[in-house]
Amino acid sequence: MSFFSRLFVSHKAELDEEIQAHLQMDIQDRKDRGESSEHARAAAMREFGNVAMVKDVTREMWGWLWFERLGQDLRFALRQLRKSPIFTITVMATLALGLGATVAMFTVVDRVLLRPLPYADAQQLIEIKEAGKKGVAPDGTPYLDLQQWHERSRSLQAVAFYSANRQVSFLEGRSEAIQVSAPKISANLFQLLGVLPAIGRGFHAQPESGSVQPSDAQTIILSDAVWKTAYGSDPQIIGKPVKLNGESYVVAGVMPPGFTFPFGTGPSVVWTPAVLGATDAVRTMYDPPNYEVVARLKPGVTLDSAQSELKVIQAEVAKAYTDPYQREQVNSVQVQRYDDSLMGSDLRRSLLALFGASAILWLIACVNAASLMLARAIARQREIAVRGALGASRWRIVQQLVVEGIVLSALSSTIGLGLAMLILKLFERGLASQFHIHEKITPNPAVIAVLLGLTATSALLCSVWPAIVAARASIEPALRQGGQQSSAAPVQYRTRALLVVTQIAMSLTLLVGCGLLLRTLYALRHVPLGFRTDHVIVADMSIPAYKFAGRNMTTELYQPLVDQVNHLPGVQSASLITGVPLGTKYKMTFNLEVDGDGALRRDISAQMRAVGPEMQRVLGFRMLKGRFFNEADTATSQPVAVVNRAFVKAYYGGDQDPGKILGETFFGYSENRRAVIVGVLDDERQLSIAQQSQPEIQVCIPQITPDTGFYKGAEGLGMDLVVRTERSPSSIIAELRSAMRAASPELATSTFTTMDQIVEDSYGSQQLAARLLIVFGGSALLLCITGIYGLLAYLVTQRTRELGLRIALGAQRGHVMGIVLRQAGWMLLAGASVGLTLAYMTSLLLRTFLYGITPHDPWTMASVTLLLLVGGLAAAYLPARRAAMVDPMQALRTE
Amino acid sequence: MIGRNGYKNRIELLQGTLDMLILQTLQWGPRHGYGIVQALHADSGEALQLETGSLYPALHRMERQGWVRSEWKQTESNQRAKYYRITAPGKKQLASDLSRWQQMVDVIGSIMRPVREGGEA
Repeated sequence: MSFFSRLFVSHKAELDEEIQAHLQMDIQDRKDRGESSEHARAAAMREFGNVAMVKDVTREMWGWLWFERLGQDLRFALRQLRKSPIFTITVMATLALGLGATVAMFTVVDRVLLRPLPYADAQQLIEIKEAGKKGVAPDGTPYLDLQQWHERSRSLQAVAFYSANRQVSFLEGRSEAIQVSAPKISANLFQLLGVLPAIGRGFHAQPESGSVQPSDAQTIILSDAVWKTAYGSDPQIIGKPVKLNGESYVVAGVMPPGFTFPFGTGPSVVWTPAVLGATDAVRTMYDPPNYEVVARLKPGVTLDSAQSELKVIQAEVAKAYTDPYQREQVNSVQVQRYDDSLMGSDLRRSLLALFGASAILWLIACVNAASLMLARAIARQREIAVRGALGASRWRIVQQLVVEGIVLSALSSTIGLGLAMLILKLFERGLASQFHIHEKITPNPAVIAVLLGLTATSALLCSVWPAIVAARASIEPALRQGGQQSSAAPVQYRTRALLVVTQIAMSLTLLVGCGLLLRTLYALRHVPLGFRTDHVIVADMSIPAYKFAGRNMTTELYQPLVDQVNHLPGVQSASLITGVPLGTKYKMTFNLEVDGDGALRRDISAQMRAVGPEMQRVLGFRMLKGRFFNEADTATSQPVAVVNRAFVKAYYGGDQDPGKILGETFFGYSENRRAVIVGVLDDERQLSIAQQSQPEIQVCIPQITPDTGFYKGAEGLGMDLVVRTERSPSSIIAELRSAMRAASPELATSTFTTMDQIVEDSYGSQQLAARLLIVFGGSALLLCITGIYGLLAYLVTQRTRELGLRIALGAQRGHVMGIVLRQAGWMLLAGASVGLTLAYMTSLLLRTFLYGITPHDPWTMASVTLLLLVGGLAAAYLPARRAAMVDPMQALRTE
Repeated sequence: MIGRNGYKNRIELLQGTLDMLILQTLQWGPRHGYGIVQALHADSGEALQLETGSLYPALHRMERQGWVRSEWKQTESNQRAKYYRITAPGKKQLASDLSRWQQMVDVIGSIMRPVREGGEA
């Protein structure tokens, strides 16, 4: 800029000198011919013509004039904005608010929905799951089935499979064991994703199946992060032995930085080989190994055609299941794009709804800014008219006003960007847990580009129209009337009133959404949870199960730990559970096919929790019938279990007395240890507060022995240590940690939280949506009120003379106030009715967030409307009072 | 405003010819703006008085187009002035302008001649 302007200035000086030289030579010639110096000068000037004009026309030849004009306009715009700071600040705050909200939400939308997965042609990747009568089969696909898909399908280019190991694994690095996730993958997976190891090689593939060759069974591939943290980026890593969960592997390769699979897992991953074995030669529905399937579509094949083809194939494949019950569960498939499978459509829709809300706020802000600019353009009509009279073209005036709009918009967008960062910072926790964003969320270049687009658009929206209105106004009357009372006023007032009505309508839409979510939160907070949450600390432990191979974890790890914690000062009671209710741990599901008659239904699917007998004192589970576990339930006593009310309802005749299930023995801890149901728990919320209780079976931890069926299943999933204490969490955590370190060193890294916090987190999506909408709705209300105030204040100023005249002629002051309030009244009513219609249509989008309330709840609609009306009338009261206070003498003298 | 448009119109009318005249003048050596006016005035038998409002825009435009180059020098009377020199592309342009102009004169001449002949007959 400064380079250009300097260049420009020097060019200008040169032109001046060139013309001066011309004149000097002309004068000199004339003097040489004998003319008097005075006469010579006059003649030379006359012959040369209009010096300024010549300079102007010449400068135009440089092709830079637009630049010079732009500089002028910019300087002028800044001067104008400095001259009226209140106007400037109001417009800037308004636009910044709208831009900030939109950019913040767009950053999230971009991060969650728009960014393609870091795999080659990610839109061609699909996920295939078996599905049937009960929906998608939860346990993956046996190899025999996916092999059929691969062989028969014509729409798939390649089929890869993996089993996502939900257990935490321990990789023994240079110094200490680090926690990693360790999915088992087929050899063709990386090739299918189009990402190859950065160092070393991938697994060798069996040409037919894509699985890993048995010779590679003990090789392993590291993620870049693991290679860096555990092995210090050792360049000689390939071929070195490592230990995963105590088992030896040889490093075959290291993946490039940033690569992860399954998408969304943390950076610490190692991939182990999926080698086919004897268990893959049979179809088993519940027993591992079953696999998740990722496939790549052939070019040009659509998702729908692949889905219909695979459905036909799977119907055939399902016939291989001999058990008719199992066959029904897997007789179809569900095919999704891989990136769609990562996020539920509910979440996607709700994110878009929030983004829409921010966009509405942005629109309101633009409308408000446009209204302000319009008012100002009219106030400046005289100035504009003078410039028109002095020869400025209309286009030039519009250009000038648009530059002003752009300057305002650019300044606001800078503030808006800061605001966006602030919003993201404030909502970081909620966004991270709702949308699984693990890294820091900052606006990226795409977001900045959108911001610039929005800025330009809002500049145009809020300046072009007022500029055109101003420039179109005829010059003469504006000059003659010489003041605020212009003939364009009525049209202009109606336009602004329309803008205010629009604002009211849009604000009401946002406010209704906000109200519905607040009601939802209120309802959620009053749901009976079925357990106590106060004074409870939860430690999330990853159990290094491999260290206890061949030993009994129950007696050697769990019970000593619980005993030790129970003896800490201030601990009332402590116990273990495989995942607290509302927690985020992977849930164990218990599937059982019961033979025989009895009241019990045939197929049972229930949540399974292993719980210590002290848990009733810690979480305060309420018993409906029978008893909870107690200290008398040990490995040698009669095995027992408890179920919850939902279980009885679902599988044991809903209407009957729940006590009747006591004494049933439909499953066992092991072959010869049938469990007796000794109690029925009252329902508790397990998955989320908004979800009804699921059927659940609880088994007693001290009774679990290594030969128990679910000992293996539960061992790596981790345990939660739950402690009831009167002491503050911060004072006791250090002692808990050392007790855990004594039990097993790896447990010292466990994370601690409180039960209250877990409950709070499980409001998650509603909380986030409600808070965001409070911010958006509140801002909208504020803008709306300033809009109403601004317009009516303007109206009163415009009509001061008329109002003064009325008062002079005997109008009551109350009547004058009424005139102004009536204006506000009709705007509010019109806005509210349009807004309610809009809200009626849009609140359906929020349906997935709502709990205990319908999207069209009349009370919410009514109270929110009332709030808006009261706010609007309050905003109108000040100008109305000013109107009533008009001094008639003063008003009439203004002419 | 009208004044400015007036200038523009005149430049447009004269443009091709004006460029040709200026380039032709510069063929005999570099000259400053005033010198060009004087030369054309003298060469046309005092019939042509070039307007500065056309001359300077034309010079600056041709400089941008690369047909002339300028430098500051002292005149014989010790006046610092900006001299314009014709460049190789300028000479090419002059040649093509000249041939086009020649063609134009021929065409117009051949149209106008029969009328005059007819008038004589």
